[in-house]
Amino acid sequence: MAPKKAASKTLNLAPVLDLNEASVLHRKLTEMRGSNIVIDASAVERVGALCVQVLMAGAKSWEEDKHAFTLSKVSDAFTKTTQLIGVNVDHLMAKEI
Amino acid sequence: MDMNEIKEIFFQECEEQLAELESGLLRLNDGDRDPETVNAVFRAVHSIKGGAGAFGLDDLVSFAHVFETTLDCVRSNKLEPTQDVLKVMLKSADVLADLTNCARDGGSVDEARSKQLIRELEALAHGTPLPGAAEAPAKTVAKPAAAKPATAAPAPVAPNDEGFMPVAFSFDDFDPDAVPVEVPTFEISFKPNADLYRKGNEATLLLRDLSRLGEMSIHCDMDSLPSLDGLNPEDAYFSWKISLRTDKGEDAIRGVFEFAEWDCELAIAELAEGEQPEAVEGEAPMQAVPFDLSILDEEPEHPLGVVEEEEQIAAGEREAAVTALETASNVLNLASAAAKAADAKQAPANAASAQQAAAAGQTIRVDLDRVDRLINLVGELVINQAMLSQSVIENDANGTSSINMGLEELQQLTREIQDSVMAIRAQPVKPVFQRMARTVREIADITGKSVRLITEGENTEVDKTVIDKLAEPLTHMIRNAVDHGLEMPEKRIALGKNPEGTVRLTAKHRSGRIIIELADDGAGINRERVRQKAIDNDLIAADANLSDEEIDNLIFHAGFSTAEKVSDLSGRGVGMDVVKRSIQALGGRINISSKPGQGSVFTMSLPLTLAVLDGMVVTVASQTLVVPLTAIVETLQPDAASIHSFGATQRLISIRNSFCPLVDVGRILNFRATQANPVEGVALLVESEGGGQRALMVDAIQGQRQVVIKSLEANYTHVPGIAAATILGDGRVALILDVDAVVAASRGQPLRLESALSAVG
Repeated sequence: MAPKKAASKTLNLAPVLDLNEASVLHRKLTEMRGSNIVIDASAVERVGALCVQVLMAGAKSWEEDKHAFTLSKVSDAFTKTTQLIGVNVDHLMAKEI
Repeated sequence: MDMNEIKEIFFQECEEQLAELESGLLRLNDGDRDPETVNAVFRAVHSIKGGAGAFGLDDLVSFAHVFETTLDCVRSNKLEPTQDVLKVMLKSADVLADLTNCARDGGSVDEARSKQLIRELEALAHGTPLPGAAEAPAKTVAKPAAAKPATAAPAPVAPNDEGFMPVAFSFDDFDPDAVPVEVPTFEISFKPNADLYRKGNEATLLLRDLSRLGEMSIHCDMDSLPSLDGLNPEDAYFSWKISLRTDKGEDAIRGVFEFAEWDCELAIAELAEGEQPEAVEGEAPMQAVPFDLSILDEEPEHPLGVVEEEEQIAAGEREAAVTALETASNVLNLASAAAKAADAKQAPANAASAQQAAAAGQTIRVDLDRVDRLINLVGELVINQAMLSQSVIENDANGTSSINMGLEELQQLTREIQDSVMAIRAQPVKPVFQRMARTVREIADITGKSVRLITEGENTEVDKTVIDKLAEPLTHMIRNAVDHGLEMPEKRIALGKNPEGTVRLTAKHRSGRIIIELADDGAGINRERVRQKAIDNDLIAADANLSDEEIDNLIFHAGFSTAEKVSDLSGRGVGMDVVKRSIQALGGRINISSKPGQGSVFTMSLPLTLAVLDGMVVTVASQTLVVPLTAIVETLQPDAASIHSFGATQRLISIRNSFCPLVDVGRILNFRATQANPVEGVALLVESEGGGQRALMVDAIQGQRQVVIKSLEANYTHVPGIAAATILGDGRVALILDVDAVVAASRGQPLRLESALSAVG
């Protein structure tokens, strides 16, 4: 896991992020607001556009809250899908601080 | 909803798809070369395959797959849909229908037949490609083993300032010739609606399929994305601007969105030459690691459904999955080949598909029992309403009361409800006609005759019960027409006819009934043989003097068959009398007219509905009868001067300078022993099935009303001269007159009067 402040929470994404998972993910993210968050997408095998929407909305909200929204690890499938659909997640990727 | 229900829906949809498939193939057979027709056929098979895959119906999937592959070749113009090709395809459609039925109801299919067809289909699919056909797909289909999976270049390039991230890869990369310099670029704007996701489509998969068409750059528009609080996780916020460099044409692009078209905003525009989006430029597709998209292939929601099912067939064989991938992309590629040749055709094709979608409308599936219950209830309501009006009229002396007004409105409403309910049951005869196409094909095959079935008026609507009961007699008749009616090709040639026989099946509405005509251009009825056979079978006396018409009608006798050798198709001697009885049970009539050497025409006339009819309530010898309004042309009060005697008992009435035979209904039904005086009664001018007019004599007209038909057969037994019964407003039973039977009886074909009387008594 990327080095982070102690206050950050971690969210492990489910392997299949489909239509059904979008609401679940939305709820989880909403519950975790108010502190830094680290998203672990290493287990993701399949991700649909809806879940990407939720994640991007999350990133936006976190930015508004002035908290950090970071993707720690990403799976191949996650990277390729976001790349395919033209969603840039590079700025969310964990970097050495 | 449990799995079985879903499966049942799948089978219902299969039926629709199969019908679509068959009608499409028949259109192709008739020379229709509209790419949309080929697409419709392809879609039908594809949908069946997709559904079958989901339910693990392996036999169905594997057959549909081979079928689909061959259709794909037609779609790509690689295979010319000649008569021979279509013959195989039509047979395949039959086997597909068998397999579907088999999967639904159990039982077995003729495996040898399906194997044989699979071989034939494969042979067609692997046939030599036609010159000028799309080269790339030909290559991959012909040598799937040699094809490599997506050898493509990823785009490890940082997005430019517009946020465009180039995603460039191509299936043709291993063949440098496949990417010509002047490949057109399309600008696609794609904005899904929430429905797209709700229906299980996935934007990522659509984009993936799109990316396979060529070099793609994409920009995702996230401007409308709210923050987490305002977000509905199942709504669609992303939209995409895509620039795609492909030689596959606009149709291939549209093909990607085929199943999602109605749930998104899609705009595709081809960029003018030289107008190249900068993001694509500078890409070197040959270098770097292959961008392996197979990782995204697991979804069952794959809009084309190909990959997953393929894997089921191949049971994990990677190679097969790769082939499937190729096929998937070919499906998209091939569609464009035709369009490329004729760009002008694109607009009409698109318009047609839009129309189709609009025409499809919204439907629900309802259990037939529910509709039947509703119809029954409405029938009771009509009777009840009639009884209510009658008792109000009887008890209420001043006819201007508001009750009467209300009653009138009630009557109108009941009427409307009834019409609407009947409309629910009305169905086009198309499905039955389509089944006949198959019957014709099979019999033609077995008998070695060449037959062409022409259907007309398939969209004529008639009550569902009528349709359901129509299939059996029609099948019998078609079998007879092909087996007995049409001659062998050699004989036809010798007679100077087209070696291909024609069977024409027509449906049309005529005066409130549906007329179904089955005409063949065969030899016609061999009257000599029919007569001889009838004498042999003791049906007629050896010296009987019969008219041509009477001889023709002998074939409707039970136990009559003229076929010299009994085939397993027809010739069991049950055919035509069963046909006649089934048609009569439907309240219909069947006629035959035959011309030696030119063929026979069977004409069936059937009621549109078996539930209600508009009737004229009349009195005959103090009995109340209902005459179907559809039969009545006009009513008149005869005066003595217009009545003329003709022969010993016949009388004619002169109407507007023409003579028309008078038919005394009371006499024919044996309600009275002596002839009624025409001047005291009313004449109903009716049109009978034979076409001629007759004047039916009744004592008085009570009024006109809609009556609910209650079957006499179901509740009592068949009564000659009487079609059915009904319940009148006062609760009494009235008999509905069978006009044609009465007219026939007046010509000297006697009714069995005993039973008629017992019914009345």
